[in-house]
Amino acid sequence: MKTIEQKGMYREFPRCGKPHARTTHYCPGCGHGIVNKLVAEACAELGLQDRTIFVDPVGCGVFTYYYWDAAHISAAHGRASAAATGVARARPGAVTIAYQGDGDLGAIGFNNAFQAASRGERFGCIFINNSLYGMTGGQMAPTTLEGETTTTTPYGRDPALTGHPLHVCEVFNQLQAPFYIARVSVADTKRIMQAKAAIRKVFELQRDGKGYAMLEILAPCPTNFRMDAQKAARFCIDEMEREFPLGVFRDRSAQAGGEESAAAPAQGSALAVRPVPRFNSCAELFSASAGAQAADGAPERGAGMARLSKELRFKFAGYGGQGILSLGLCVAEAARLENLHTLWFPSYGPEQRGGSASCSVVVSPQRIGAPSVEHPDVLVCMNQPSYERFAADVKPGGLVIVDETVPVAKEPPEGVRLRRVPAIAMAEEFGVPKAANTMMLAALKVCKATGLADASLEEALCASFKKKPQLIEKNREIFHRAAKALENRNA
Amino acid sequence: MDSEGTIASHPEIEADSCKGCGRCVEACPRKCLEISHALNNAGIRSVAYKGEGCVGCGICFYNCPEPYAIKVVKA
Repeated sequence: MKTIEQKGMYREFPRCGKPHARTTHYCPGCGHGIVNKLVAEACAELGLQDRTIFVDPVGCGVFTYYYWDAAHISAAHGRASAAATGVARARPGAVTIAYQGDGDLGAIGFNNAFQAASRGERFGCIFINNSLYGMTGGQMAPTTLEGETTTTTPYGRDPALTGHPLHVCEVFNQLQAPFYIARVSVADTKRIMQAKAAIRKVFELQRDGKGYAMLEILAPCPTNFRMDAQKAARFCIDEMEREFPLGVFRDRSAQAGGEESAAAPAQGSALAVRPVPRFNSCAELFSASAGAQAADGAPERGAGMARLSKELRFKFAGYGGQGILSLGLCVAEAARLENLHTLWFPSYGPEQRGGSASCSVVVSPQRIGAPSVEHPDVLVCMNQPSYERFAADVKPGGLVIVDETVPVAKEPPEGVRLRRVPAIAMAEEFGVPKAANTMMLAALKVCKATGLADASLEEALCASFKKKPQLIEKNREIFHRAAKALENRNA
Repeated sequence: MDSEGTIASHPEIEADSCKGCGRCVEACPRKCLEISHALNNAGIRSVAYKGEGCVGCGICFYNCPEPYAIKVVKA
């Protein structure tokens, strides 16, 4: 009997900070995850974990030090090849591997990588090409395909304006020094197996002290392609491979190594940096209400229809993709419509889906001080980890609304009401599984938890679909149906 | 287990590590995986083994982006 399982990674990833310490920070269906597994496996199977130094610059791959059980250095954005040069020269016996993305290597760090390849530095460069900037929210990268839609090329990449896709392997293939240049993909099983062999080769070349190796890996980014995992993989095969054909451009692994390398030891240096997470959809959500906010001649705040007499603090929590941030934004928008002061403050990990997400909302007739909400009056939880994390902090007299799928192992503190709402089940029953957050908004209305007028909540809900007008009526309808269903349950 | 008491090939799924992307479901040549109705710790519908059909090829493991969501026991 044989077991096929992960090798070369830590058993748990506590630094990742997930409730379940054995998951990565990558989005569902991410190509990085597949490559991470192959790299760790190759490193372990070749027995190189104690000799390997990974250099991780900024990008979605920045946190590989959570996972790979080997030495790591974090490099500044785009500087992995420069830092790896230092490492490889200072530690000639080490297996040095730079792990870069296409924003990192193809744009800001292109010259670093190109010159390192030209000098034939003794390290291997694993280059993930997903045709856009993933971590920062899907902006155009040099590798973006012609016509491909990204957040910064909303009408598709126009070569007349932003140039043609950069073929890194083909460019590097003009250089004398590299030992190995290849492009593989992780879109399907056959390609994954080819990638596995190629990654192994990169390690072997470094183990034997040969010289520079460049391995480009086409990887799907379902989140920023705005596709599910299957369609994203198809996009890699059907679209990306047309622009970036797979293959081995050069393989001189049989040749003796070292002679073309500049081997003079130099001071290795690397600055540890932390990435700045960005969240694309927030910007979009903000822009939905920006027009209204810009109207500075608006009536004085606190006037008009505001009924709220005291400040209310909310916390919304769940996992990314449940619409937690939009739910909070709806409440903030409803308060804005009533000319109240309001603040919306999101909190999320570097991944755009699947991680834990929460947001704080403060609604007040007066000016608001601190934006963070440590002790909410109202807490809305869409999954178990968020209930466990925040329920104990709710103020006495407060309210906790949790989805019925969340097991309530521990009651909330004394004096705090608990309402369990079948938001996820109801959304599915209505045939709109993504609208669980709208159900929660209906629950807030039914519980009279916001101190805001029902009409404001409804108007805010419609405003949140400003960019998808076809969804407005549908959501308005299910909002009403949900409120009615919840009221009937109460009765 | 079969009649002779030997263990048949099967995937072992750690539901809390699964993000429900469905890559393994698509890739499985025997189509013996499915997205289950059960929610995992994070509230995600994780993948599940249908209970038969696995030949222990390991294709689901290599298609899965998560290190510990699936391991495959090959008889």
